[in-house]
Amino acid sequence: MIPTLGHITVVIGLAATIYAAAAFILGGRRGDPGVLASARRGMYAAFALVALACVAMVISLLTHDFSVVYVARNNATTTPPFYSVISLWAALEGSILFWTLLATGWASLVLYRYRARLPALMPWVGATLALGTAFFFAVMAWAGDPFVRVTPIGPEGNGPNALLQNHPFMGLHPPLLYLGYTGLAVPFAFGMAALITRRTDEEWLAVVRRWTLVPWIFLTAGIVAGAWWSYAVLGWGGYWAWDPVENAALLPWLTATAFIHSSMVAERRGTLRTWTHALVIATFVLTLVGTFLTRSGVVNSVHAFTTSGIGAWFASAILLTLGGALGLLIWRLPDLRDRRAPGAVVSRESAFLFNNVLFLGITFAVLFGTLYPILVEATSGARASVGAPWFNRVNAPIFVALLFLAGVGPALPWGGASWATVRERFAIPILSGVGVVVAAWALGVRDAAPLGILGLATFVLVVMGDEVVRGARSRARSRGEAAPLAVLRLATRNRRRYGGYLAHVGVCVMAVAIAVSATLGTDRTATLQEGESLAVGEYTLRYDQLVTEPLASDPRVIETRAELTLAGPQSGPIATALRDYPNSQTAIATPVVRTALGEDVYVTLLAYNTTSRAATIQVFINPLVMWIWTGGAIVALGALFAIWPDRRRRAVEAALAGG
Amino acid sequence: MAAPSLRRSLRWLALPVVLVPLGWLLFTGLGTDPRVIPSPLVGKPMPAFAGATLEGGEFSSADLVGRPAVVNFWASYCIPSCVDEHPVLLDLAARHGDELQVVGVLVNDTPDDARGFLDRYGQVGWPNVLNLDGDISIDYGVIGPPETFFVDADGIVIARHVGPLTTDEVARQLAALGLTP
Repeated sequence: MIPTLGHITVVIGLAATIYAAAAFILGGRRGDPGVLASARRGMYAAFALVALACVAMVISLLTHDFSVVYVARNNATTTPPFYSVISLWAALEGSILFWTLLATGWASLVLYRYRARLPALMPWVGATLALGTAFFFAVMAWAGDPFVRVTPIGPEGNGPNALLQNHPFMGLHPPLLYLGYTGLAVPFAFGMAALITRRTDEEWLAVVRRWTLVPWIFLTAGIVAGAWWSYAVLGWGGYWAWDPVENAALLPWLTATAFIHSSMVAERRGTLRTWTHALVIATFVLTLVGTFLTRSGVVNSVHAFTTSGIGAWFASAILLTLGGALGLLIWRLPDLRDRRAPGAVVSRESAFLFNNVLFLGITFAVLFGTLYPILVEATSGARASVGAPWFNRVNAPIFVALLFLAGVGPALPWGGASWATVRERFAIPILSGVGVVVAAWALGVRDAAPLGILGLATFVLVVMGDEVVRGARSRARSRGEAAPLAVLRLATRNRRRYGGYLAHVGVCVMAVAIAVSATLGTDRTATLQEGESLAVGEYTLRYDQLVTEPLASDPRVIETRAELTLAGPQSGPIATALRDYPNSQTAIATPVVRTALGEDVYVTLLAYNTTSRAATIQVFINPLVMWIWTGGAIVALGALFAIWPDRRRRAVEAALAGG
Repeated sequence: MAAPSLRRSLRWLALPVVLVPLGWLLFTGLGTDPRVIPSPLVGKPMPAFAGATLEGGEFSSADLVGRPAVVNFWASYCIPSCVDEHPVLLDLAARHGDELQVVGVLVNDTPDDARGFLDRYGQVGWPNVLNLDGDISIDYGVIGPPETFFVDADGIVIARHVGPLTTDEVARQLAALGLTP
């Protein structure tokens, strides 16, 4: 009964989105507000319907209704309620259902917020969003129906994928990532609307800047949370493997980041306009490519969903979207001529331009590395894979150059800079950077990567600190404000600029943490008998005993754990385990991570012998890893600060709306 | 005025230049089955094996000579893949049991667990070699269950299939063996 209801809501949802698309186009052409209001209601209805379908799926999961194939494959009677609920997005069909919920949610939110504004653009924004969501409804109605039934009904289901029920982060990482992915449809819709209506002035950019930053924050948080999940669950001591699906999330992030930067130039200076449109299109198409890669079975990956027939749907959607958007862009090229000549070579515009070139460089490198195996297979039939070392080697220098630009850009004026300005702005930052490198050398750091990144990060931080001090000092002088108040006012009156700086601080923190953790860590592997100890760096690890018992939360899962005592800068009893899930061929690692400001102690159980009681244990000392997550949080906070509505702007908007 | 309009129409070339290769790449990628993994054994004689069976008898691959064979590596813990392909194998044996021989080989499994699997998902009429020391898996280069090798009447391996068998795959291989699916 409930699954049937779910299926029916999906079919009606498809009809509602198609109706909304048609009504938006009709209402937009006629300029009929009644038709447009009805079109908006069509989208709200689609959101309500897919929400109902999600509820139906969650109830089916919680009640272990194995007549639904999806439930039978991803749930068991012993699955804890939390993992039953999050199984909504843990496998193919459910994830598309959840995706549609978020996509219609974003669409409804945007249409509601701008129901009385931007009357020329909004019908076409609505039509684009309605067509996009209709595609996902269509996938669910045909190729990827989440409510397919099965007879006879089995007494027990297969249970969730063992890897995905091992850590509560599974409840956080996919929703954040999906919120980012689906939200990036909004800037795309505005871009299309601007091209269709030939209103390619700065109006759409002002709106879209904010509507790109919000999903961008979610995408950033989702990627960092995914890295954290990988670190905490997979037991290999690392957090990023250049896996095709990690790349799929990174690709739209890279182009969206490039867009956030180039849109500032387009808005301020009226240049880079075609480029900015192209980035919006690329970002949205790359979210589709990401979905295609994860859901079609063309690449092998830990993330890959089961192979299914929906690959052809997504491939067609990618081609249609890219063809349509690119065609529209070419058609409107004459409208997009730059309003003025590009700035001087040493200017803020060129810093932004180089920034974009570098971001696109990384995008192409990552895209190439990800698609290369498919390309090789398509041409020669052989199987190939591109490993992490290739990605690291190609991308590391570009990331370093980007970090350098993060310091150069903010200090250069728009238009062009004189040699005197350059000397005045950069002398102290460069000296500080060199000073930190020398100090780190003196403290015993010898690797080039952490030394270089430390120097660069210092340079960037000092440039931005100098900017803040300069601004606050002039404010304090002209208005007689105390220094702390002047800094606060300066930042809250120029949220975009100082939010951006804060995000760059986060990037510096992450860069240093990544460079240091990747090069200065140590690890050791040893097979110990009960009572034996292992020394790693300043730590000693004593292996006390091996315990095998069923898990309290799910007795079908057998956990074998090595109980250890850690002594050193961090100390206390710890336990690292291997878990045997009834539906998994391999035991699932449950590493233990002791986190401190300076370094993580990461212990994982590789193997054990129940007769001899011996355990093979790998210990990683990973310095500064928690600063990677902290840096990610600072980046997201900076962006949040930049888009936070301030009272004065709201007052202006209200006055405009009223007038 | 001819030059700008020519240039304008040339811009449209960007569309096919981008879309045709991309479409080709995406759809060829889809057409290939990630489960088809090349094996050095294809085209070579099957590695010989013999051993005790789950059913309490003995089996030797020498007995296969003159008949095509389907060697299926499986295990009770391999869920859902081995469960999914179980009916396909049962159907294959029911319809072609007199033309070819199905042989099961256990991968890193205990006899009790394997018997439990067959009790639950359906008993089979073909031998299942215990393979307790795992030598057969090593000789065949098995990555993990389920994997299936198709062998012709001359004992030559004609195909390897990684992952659960499907009706389509079986039909394709039966045709390759010269049998009517």
